[in-house]
Amino acid sequence: MDSEALSTAYAGLEKVATQDDPGQRKWTWEEDGFTVIRSSARTGPGCHDNCGILMYVKDGKLEKIEGDPENPYNQGRLCPRCLAAKEMIYHKDRLMRPLKRAKSERGKNTFEPCTWDEAYDIIDREMKAVVNKYGGKAIYVTQGTGRDINGYGPLMAQCFGSPNYGMGFLSGEGCYAPRLFSTGLKAGNMFVCDYSQFFPERYDDPRWEKPEYILIWGNNPVVANSDGTLGHWIVECMKRGSKLIVIDPKLTWLAGRADVWLQVRPGTDSALALALCNIIIEKGLEDTDFIDRWTYGFDEFKEHVKQYTAESVAEICGVDAALIEEAAVKIGRARSACLQWGVTIDHTSEGFITGMACFDLMAVTGNYEKPGTMLAARACFGVGVTWMPDPNAWEEIPNLIADENEIMNNDYPAVRAMHAISQDMILKSMETGEPYPIKACWIQTNNPLSCMGAQPQRILPALQSMDFNVVVDLFMTPTALACADVVLPAVSFAERPGLTGHQPYTLTALAKAIEPLGDTKSDQRIIYEMSERFTGVKMPWDDEEGFYDFVLRKTDFSYQDMKERTWAYPEFEYNKHEKGLLRPDGSPGFATRTGRYQFYSPEMQYFGLSPLATFEEPPESPVSSPELAKEYPLVLSSGARLWGLFHSEHRQSPSMRRMHPQPLARIHPDTAKDYGIKSGDWIMIENQLGTCKMMAEVTVTIKRGMVSADHGWWFPERGADDGTYFGTLESNINTLMPMRPGKSGLGNSYKSQLCQIRKIEE
Amino acid sequence: MRNALLVDYEYCTGCHTCEIACQQERGLAPDEFGIEIKEIGPYQLNERKWQLDYIPVPTERCNRCLTRTQNGKDPSCVKHCQAGCLSYGPAAVLADKIDHAKMVLFG
Repeated sequence: MDSEALSTAYAGLEKVATQDDPGQRKWTWEEDGFTVIRSSARTGPGCHDNCGILMYVKDGKLEKIEGDPENPYNQGRLCPRCLAAKEMIYHKDRLMRPLKRAKSERGKNTFEPCTWDEAYDIIDREMKAVVNKYGGKAIYVTQGTGRDINGYGPLMAQCFGSPNYGMGFLSGEGCYAPRLFSTGLKAGNMFVCDYSQFFPERYDDPRWEKPEYILIWGNNPVVANSDGTLGHWIVECMKRGSKLIVIDPKLTWLAGRADVWLQVRPGTDSALALALCNIIIEKGLEDTDFIDRWTYGFDEFKEHVKQYTAESVAEICGVDAALIEEAAVKIGRARSACLQWGVTIDHTSEGFITGMACFDLMAVTGNYEKPGTMLAARACFGVGVTWMPDPNAWEEIPNLIADENEIMNNDYPAVRAMHAISQDMILKSMETGEPYPIKACWIQTNNPLSCMGAQPQRILPALQSMDFNVVVDLFMTPTALACADVVLPAVSFAERPGLTGHQPYTLTALAKAIEPLGDTKSDQRIIYEMSERFTGVKMPWDDEEGFYDFVLRKTDFSYQDMKERTWAYPEFEYNKHEKGLLRPDGSPGFATRTGRYQFYSPEMQYFGLSPLATFEEPPESPVSSPELAKEYPLVLSSGARLWGLFHSEHRQSPSMRRMHPQPLARIHPDTAKDYGIKSGDWIMIENQLGTCKMMAEVTVTIKRGMVSADHGWWFPERGADDGTYFGTLESNINTLMPMRPGKSGLGNSYKSQLCQIRKIEE
Repeated sequence: MRNALLVDYEYCTGCHTCEIACQQERGLAPDEFGIEIKEIGPYQLNERKWQLDYIPVPTERCNRCLTRTQNGKDPSCVKHCQAGCLSYGPAAVLADKIDHAKMVLFG
């Protein structure tokens, strides 16, 4: 979707009626000597969900957090992170004041406290020096994936005058963006599974039907809770009869309960998806009515996928052909099916294409916009700032970007069409000054040295070579310690107002339960205060609640309205493509150029790619690089999510750390035996790029011949003084991952590398 | 009638919520448990079938959240269980709910 299409995607959503009647719903009350504040845990500490919470406060201190039983999103349930969030909020290491450090001291624990005024003055002076010398484009404004930042970070970038905003050092924009963009071209919108979460009455809403089959593809949603999906919704669907097909190299709890578990070799997912399409078509199980009425290019697609036979793909993926056939028949015959995909799709170099293949499977079987299938996911009440890029979010605010076309993405037409930056090009620019120099970084909610950044051994010197760096966070992270000249302390979700986001079902308010600790401020306030300072222009609001009034300006709600009702569910309808509710012009169909779901995507040719989804071996694999595989014979996957830890966060939380004391690498017993490794041994994982020290967990759950390694590790308990940046480069699996995207510039190789392992003799 | 804890471990995902909810409610240290998740498996039963189950077991430290239950609230583990696989109530009433394998009552 280009920015014009994105603008029209919001048209008409602002004034949609609400489904839920707030009635006597209260946002605060007294209970057993506590003041209870109803809110939502929209980070930080981070995660991708928006669970309703009740915060119990006494004498200005947060004593307890419970799940809100009335909130339809989580229905009173809550995960360990939130239940123990006090451990993070009141942690002794939390940053309480702005800090400054001389550039010559980078890497040393020699920060000095300063006032906000002084910190803003330093940033204003140093960033303006960079702008004057190199232009605003030389400032790289980054976000991570955790705190509530998606829509707000671009405000900071436009006020600095930089078109270069994005996920800090995430190779190939490899988290949701590749598959969202490629499938957006095919289906015109993003689509998500129907677990009843669009209805405030949830599973009891008479319009809803359970998905007959849920395809759990490359994620473990009960742990991962990716992208506004609360994984345990799937468990509720299972109780109501939903069945599972799981595609994962690991036996997850869900895989153990699946009708069919396909234990694929990492990086081969698109071959499997195309084989499933082929078998369904061969057996006449495709949805001909949907295909005839609503799709484009099926005949070409049908011919194209004939090469993906069960036998050939079984060989590629390393699974039994009969199992592939069985899965295809089950999906083909199902009354409804939906695709619960995960970041694995983007963590193969051609993830841009893998997402297309997965969506084609849903289209072959007509699983769009019916109950229990894939549903269009549009911003609630048009408040896109909390959900997906909205080019109009900050249109009234000064925009100092001299030329949007200077955005760093020239090497990749697909990235250019997305109006995204190429993080891979940015790192090269920091190293070489080409095609133009990057000279300063604003790093917020982002710890790329420990997490997300590929080849952190390149990122560290690149960051340390900058003219100026700012880090905004709750704790002194390895990235802040290594490179920050100014560190700004951010608050937790308990200490701020706000709005939830990152999902298309409900708009929900955050209510401030306690005052910000010490001298801390919210990420959003930091952004708009710094924007005011830098531009010298008064923002059109006076305080933090006024800021959210501005965010809500096109809706019928004020922030106060939202706080008092806490949540608002927009009206929902199925079969939106039949009712003309997906296309900006109100005609039936999908919001694509052809008005149909595009098996054949003409746009792909403009990017130099095949208009039909195709499988390609990962660049490093036993098949594509046999010479390399002689030295590094094991397939390396990283980034499987862990209970209680969100990426590089929560390492300080005693309760979360009890569950995960050390970084683990999972290896099948047969593989471990070959290397003389037992559970609990420290091992070195090595490849042509780097090394990483982890503890072995020998387990039958993982595919033979591979290593599945944790990510995001650092060791705050070591302290900041030993020169290792909390040990983050010692156990960092990203040192083995290339900072190199797929051909489109999108997708990376975080889940399909090669490696070898050896036991570390103590 | 005596109250009991019903665990439906067909649906327990092993998420540790019950452990942490208990520790937070009771002020226990991270290595002190009023309820603890136990893993069964992973065992390969045949070519297609695996057993990988989790079951939460109340410990000696569990006091059934007396201060909560006396005020008509569920114990914290029951309230927060992400899988909704814990119930608390009169033992006989809960026993009547047992309608599939992998359901167990703790008195």
